[in-house]
Amino acid sequence: MLTTQLKYDLLMFSRELFYLIFILVVPPATYIFMGQLYGDFTYAGNLTYAQTYTPSFILLITFGVVFFSFGFEQVMHRTTGVEKRISLSPVPKKVLLLSSILKSIILTSFGFFIVYLIGIIVYNLSFNLLSLISSYGFFILLNALLLTISSAIYSFFSNMNSALVFSIIIFQVVMITGGFAIPVEMMPKFVTVIAEVNPIYHMNKLFIAIWNEQFQLDKSTFISIGYIVALIIIALVIIRFSTKRRN
Amino acid sequence: MAIIDVRNLQKSYGNNQVLKGVNFQAQEGEVIGVIGKNGAGKSTFLEILMTIKSYDIGTVIVFDEDIKSIPTNRLEQLRQNISVVLQPTQFYKTLKVGELLKLFKAYYQSPVDIEKIIADFKLEAHRKKYFDKLSGGWKQIVSLAIAFLSEPKLLILDEPTTGLDPHMRNLLWSYIKNYNDKTGGTVILTTHNMDEIELYCDKVMLINNGVNEVFETTENILASGYKSINAFYLQSVSI
Ligand SMILES: Nc1ncnc2c1ncn2[C@@H]1O[C@H](COP(=O)(O)OP(=O)(O)OP(=O)(O)O)[C@@H](O)[C@H]1O
Ligand SMILES: [Mg+2]
Repeated sequence: MLTTQLKYDLLMFSRELFYLIFILVVPPATYIFMGQLYGDFTYAGNLTYAQTYTPSFILLITFGVVFFSFGFEQVMHRTTGVEKRISLSPVPKKVLLLSSILKSIILTSFGFFIVYLIGIIVYNLSFNLLSLISSYGFFILLNALLLTISSAIYSFFSNMNSALVFSIIIFQVVMITGGFAIPVEMMPKFVTVIAEVNPIYHMNKLFIAIWNEQFQLDKSTFISIGYIVALIIIALVIIRFSTKRRN
Repeated sequence: MAIIDVRNLQKSYGNNQVLKGVNFQAQEGEVIGVIGKNGAGKSTFLEILMTIKSYDIGTVIVFDEDIKSIPTNRLEQLRQNISVVLQPTQFYKTLKVGELLKLFKAYYQSPVDIEKIIADFKLEAHRKKYFDKLSGGWKQIVSLAIAFLSEPKLLILDEPTTGLDPHMRNLLWSYIKNYNDKTGGTVILTTHNMDEIELYCDKVMLINNGVNEVFETTENILASGYKSINAFYLQSVSI
């Protein structure tokens, strides 16, 4: 039953042109385009463009997939009555949840390897099996964290339009303050303040460090990890609470 | 055998008390029509029976299970025996009709042949269309076809014939009757068409002012002097 559900979940995703373009086409295109502009710069930690922005864009795709095609879609199914209809059939809730988690891992992994491949071909990113494995492992962890956070956030929405507006705004905010456009350090002060509370900004920092094998347990990584852990705990509490509320 | 037993069922939405003490039983093999004016609480009542809506007071027993205290795994088992049509119906809108049927067949792990269902419900011309793009009536027919994908013991249909043309309406009723005769399954449905009640239902429950004002066999209602069920309804319920 899980494979059938997964098959149809992926089929439905492929038919949503908006998701496909917004999530899987725009970020890789931006990755290439920005590299043409800023490809020769050197970034924090003495890293090249590709070393910095390859993990960043992978994270951006992951964020897009998880927030739109996992979180927002939950709201859509809840508000249009699809969830109600499906809940009346004997398919276990666990199967539905597992399928949508697998779906986003498959899609984000697709994003991972596309951006990685572009990096290797266009920007001379070096291939290193060991660092690939640790990066991919951390990427799966990021997936899990984002899935948890987005479940918690979207459990508050009972209206599709407000959820959509929210998603688009949050995508913009994350784009700008997550370090995906120009480095946050070069932005006005208020942006850096927002960045500090943006968990994606912290995830991005950690991901770049791990990708380039520069990860160290210093004060700044400690703050990032602590902040993300705190958010996850809050998210888990919210999820518990909202499933109780609905029963 | 009693399939459903409802005692003193009460349900409010905020301050709006919709059901104020409904008593209802369904025996195996019965076809029961639930009637009442718009907003009387028919859909609310059916959704409680479908086990997807909570209620405030009373007991609701479906297949010998008290649905208030049932654990999730037994609830999923119980739902395996129930097929429904909701008002209004929604499915994954970017799946095609044929794909939806396959998906639901997997959910019910049903031995029913999809090709036969497609032929029976005249869906051949629509199987490659997206559910979202169908006309209202065809959406309804797909929803009915899905309800008959499994071989349920209990069929709960909320206004199944609303929006159907006369041929499709007849087709649907012959399907329901056939299912009822062959499998002995129980059918509970709502409709605003009193002729359907008269022609096809063994019993009628009239919900008025939040209670089952009448719960009687169709035969007895007609025997008590009403010319038709329509006349009975018009005289029993004020606007
Ligand atoms: N989710 C809900 N939240 C708040 N009120 C609701 C909700 N669902 C139904 N109601 C109210 O409960 C009452 C009964 O609604 P219900 O849909 O059960 O009526 P009905 O008998 O099925 O009507 P109809 O013949 O028009 O389908 C109505 O006043 C309706 O406004
Ligand atoms: Mg109704």
